[in-house]
Amino acid sequence: MARFLIERLFGMIVTLFLVSIMVFFIMELPPGDYAERYAFRKYSGTGITMTEADVQAIRAELGLDAPAITRYLDWMGGIVLNGDFGPAYAFDTSVNNIIGDKVWLTLGLLFATLIVTYVISIPVGIYAAVRRGGLADYGLTIFSYLGLALPNFLLALVMLYFANLWFGASIGGLFSPQYAEAPWSAAKFWDLVKHLWLPAAVLAWSAMAYQIQTVRATMSDELGKLSVMAARARGVPEARLLLKYPARLAINPVVSTIGFDVNRIFSELPIVAVVLGLTELGDLLLKSYLDLDMNVAGAILLLLTVVIVVMNFVSDLLLAWLDPRIRLGG
Amino acid sequence: MLTVENLTISFRTDEGRITPVQDVGFSVAEGRTLGIVGESGSGKSVSTKALMRLLPGNAEIGREARMRYTSKSGEDIAIEALKPGSRALRRLRGGEIGMIFQEPMASFSPVYTIGNQIMETVRLHRGLNGTAARDLAVEMLTKVGISNPGARVDQYPHELSGGMRQRAMIALALSAGPRLLIADEPTTALDVTIQAQVLDLMRDLQRDLGMGMIFITHDLGVIAHVADDVAVMYLGTIVETGTAREVLKSPAHPYTRGLIKAIPRLDRLDARLEAVPGDIPSPSARPTGCPFHTRCAEAIAGLCERVTPPEVRLAQGRRVRCHLHDETRAVA
Repeated sequence: MARFLIERLFGMIVTLFLVSIMVFFIMELPPGDYAERYAFRKYSGTGITMTEADVQAIRAELGLDAPAITRYLDWMGGIVLNGDFGPAYAFDTSVNNIIGDKVWLTLGLLFATLIVTYVISIPVGIYAAVRRGGLADYGLTIFSYLGLALPNFLLALVMLYFANLWFGASIGGLFSPQYAEAPWSAAKFWDLVKHLWLPAAVLAWSAMAYQIQTVRATMSDELGKLSVMAARARGVPEARLLLKYPARLAINPVVSTIGFDVNRIFSELPIVAVVLGLTELGDLLLKSYLDLDMNVAGAILLLLTVVIVVMNFVSDLLLAWLDPRIRLGG
Repeated sequence: MLTVENLTISFRTDEGRITPVQDVGFSVAEGRTLGIVGESGSGKSVSTKALMRLLPGNAEIGREARMRYTSKSGEDIAIEALKPGSRALRRLRGGEIGMIFQEPMASFSPVYTIGNQIMETVRLHRGLNGTAARDLAVEMLTKVGISNPGARVDQYPHELSGGMRQRAMIALALSAGPRLLIADEPTTALDVTIQAQVLDLMRDLQRDLGMGMIFITHDLGVIAHVADDVAVMYLGTIVETGTAREVLKSPAHPYTRGLIKAIPRLDRLDARLEAVPGDIPSPSARPTGCPFHTRCAEAIAGLCERVTPPEVRLAQGRRVRCHLHDETRAVA
């Protein structure tokens, strides 16, 4: 196991390094840079003519004139050594200040969504497989088709309407107005939880539908295995037998796709966030691109990809724990 | 210790009802081995699964079926009346009747160690925990001839060879301390040399532990090796029973004779093997009368295809279902 862990850890570090280079490359891609945008913003309409030399001076002042390799090393150095993502030019402050809270809220939403997805889809999928052909099984199949067919911004609107109807007005956003600017407290956290379930449910919807079908299918396969009948023939009580033998293998495909689910949640998050009025990173990412404020854009891209890489690592570890043949190379 | 009477099993399928086992009866005495022989599809596995109540949900056991088992404590158990999921059924499975399957690799779960699965059984049926359970697991592995059992106990099934796995499977079944062992083609998936070793091992263990054993196989050579009594099954019915010695020496049913002729023999290499002609009919298209008449060279026209042969008692407790032996017919 130790060897497996070290191998995967090394693999993850290499991936992270490559990801950081790719993110930096993407940051360099848009034509022009913030120096030009700054000069345009500040002096357009004032009648002052900006020369190329003036822009160059601004560039030097912002440190944007250095060669790419130096800027990459500076950027990475700050992040790795001090957790400092550099200055956010368009906001006249540091990137950390701009994205700080939003990172935690986005991560909170991500994990809430993952938890909702797995806590519901795994037991339900197992149940559907055990009671295959029953009424509940057919009901779930219909739900799954609905889940896969409905676009989730539509679902968000529908749920927003009903949540508003049943639970009162303050359901959009992540906080009630009185807590939005308040310092963190137990009450504020509880308020967050009350607001989090709706977006989490919307984001989890399609993954849930998909994973229920996955668990149901693999569980059905596993239930037919001889090892399950052999365990039954040894007198293992049914409930324990189901959890110990087939269920452990049935959740394999779910665990191995955690990374995909994270990826999908990140892609669906911005549009759901717009509908539900959430403050998260997607919106900021778009704005920073428009401003060519590449430190902000880079920080967000880097954080999102790091989360995906780390979750893939976690999924590898869980798989190895679930199935010893993976860690023993059998 | 086990008596089965009138066992009929049918399955509801999309193509209608099929009845792979019809009116089967056999018994196993303490310390003796009953061999059940038959081609695939003759219903031998299905009948023994019924004894453990392991049939799938679409299977039905006929109302007249009686399966009487005498437990270790001397209690008579009506297996057909046990409630699914009941404690009594769980105690019967493993603790009273152990089962070994054809595929040793597939009968172990690949994600737990051999020891984990043996110790689970020991905990369930012998009430031992912790080190005591582990010690017993190691002891069982030693008993079935696995080398270095202290290390093997912590290995996963895929780390063992085929023969070792089947030995471990035997250890697993025996660790619950059953009084009756059902072995469903336990050597079919093994190399011939390993087969003989495993057969010897099973025979010795059965003798030492005084267990009853039901040995399912399609191989009469295996029967000659391990069985005291034999029941020959064809298309869901038992066509002939008797002691293994008598049946192999002087088979009474044409089907048994066919099976014996089909055994390859080293001392008759130049003679061609005589196969039983034709294929075993599908259980959904069961022939009328004697099920074997479609392939029987000695079939009596006008009788065998119409009338189901009664069970005829022969000398030495042998029984056969064949019109050729029915003397009342000759009189009539």
